[in-house]
Amino acid sequence: MGRPITIAIDAMGGDRAPSEIVAGALLAAEELGVEVLLVGHDEAVRPLLPAGALPEGVMLEHAPDLVTMDEEPAAAARTKKDSSLVRSATAVREGRAQAMVGAGNTGATMAAALLRMGRIRGIARPAIAVPIPVPGADHPQLLIDGGSTVDCAPEWLVQFASMGREYARTRLGVDQPTVGLLSNGEEPGKGDELRKKAFELLRDAPGFHGNVEGRDLMHGTVNVVVTDGFTGNVALKTLEGALRAAVNLVFGVLESTPEAREAGKVVTPLLLDAASVLDPDSTGGAVLLGVDGVCVISHGSSSARAVVNATRVAAECVDTDVVGRLKEAIRAR
Amino acid sequence: MPAETHVEQGPIGPDAVLQILRERLAEILEIDEARITLDADFTEDLGADSLALIELVEALEEELGERTVGFRIDDEDLGDLHTVREAVEYVVARLHRAGA
Repeated sequence: MGRPITIAIDAMGGDRAPSEIVAGALLAAEELGVEVLLVGHDEAVRPLLPAGALPEGVMLEHAPDLVTMDEEPAAAARTKKDSSLVRSATAVREGRAQAMVGAGNTGATMAAALLRMGRIRGIARPAIAVPIPVPGADHPQLLIDGGSTVDCAPEWLVQFASMGREYARTRLGVDQPTVGLLSNGEEPGKGDELRKKAFELLRDAPGFHGNVEGRDLMHGTVNVVVTDGFTGNVALKTLEGALRAAVNLVFGVLESTPEAREAGKVVTPLLLDAASVLDPDSTGGAVLLGVDGVCVISHGSSSARAVVNATRVAAECVDTDVVGRLKEAIRAR
Repeated sequence: MPAETHVEQGPIGPDAVLQILRERLAEILEIDEARITLDADFTEDLGADSLALIELVEALEEELGERTVGFRIDDEDLGDLHTVREAVEYVVARLHRAGA
């Protein structure tokens, strides 16, 4: 048996850090058979360890500094070299860990990963591949970019499509992934200048389905939805808000009359079970594609379970050599 | 602190700085080194955006910082560096200051 994979986890990143992050890291070491390098302030992390000691498979690297959620990403990644975030990325670069997980400032995580790990040759900008649940389907849909690169050139969307296809193949096991370009209509001429130019460049790309619309998200129309980071992030947040409203509506109805409350006793457990696929904590975080290392970004309010799932995704990315496969795919274009 | 700001491998001149800058920038932008002339404008001629320049700054700090402890490029100065020549002159001055 080879050496276990080591995952660096930014213990200080996220709304519920460090307590939930440390709890998740300890669980991950226990459940996943990986080693965890907790990176954070010694004084904040140690009291959260069982009896103040590091369990087997868990290491701690003291990082005196911290990147907060509202800091300017590039500046934070550049100037805060002793932060838990930058040190996590540095651990990957130096080979002390094979992947990193962070739930803190997304932009700063992207910048730290980019600056410490470097870019894959042929990729101008990294992109976040967000798995979106598709009810009833075998695997999620990927939205790329979920918010890493806000302003994009048309060529970069083509790169996102290539990375998305390879990632869908490697991680989701889709043999011939299909790609859609998110636009405001299905017809080829739809969209702004960015979309129109990207469409022309993608027209003959393998697996290109054409334009898709917002309503195709969470449906099996295509495996990979490509867009710029600004639109992708707005789309994601819109989905989140709409789902929350729909859930509130359903549970409101089930509380509205005595008969509905009776029905609710039967239906509510089923609904809660079905809705668990929509829980962001269960998706396992989003992978930053295009950097020369594995970086998984978990959502800001990550629970311990979310950290375990993000760590699982990170370990699987190492196991399946996602970065090597992406490099090959980009080289072969 | 004077004890930490010493030159470890002798002074680095403008030619050496230009060569290092060329190599690193060509790598970052994935362009031919020959395009990176002294008069080239980072944005207009080479298509470098702010993120590419930050990558360049990191690469230069890493490489030159190993040779001249204390060498650093201030982010606020980046806006004043439009051409390769300006960047080389700036870096040489910074190296001189760090090694002094």
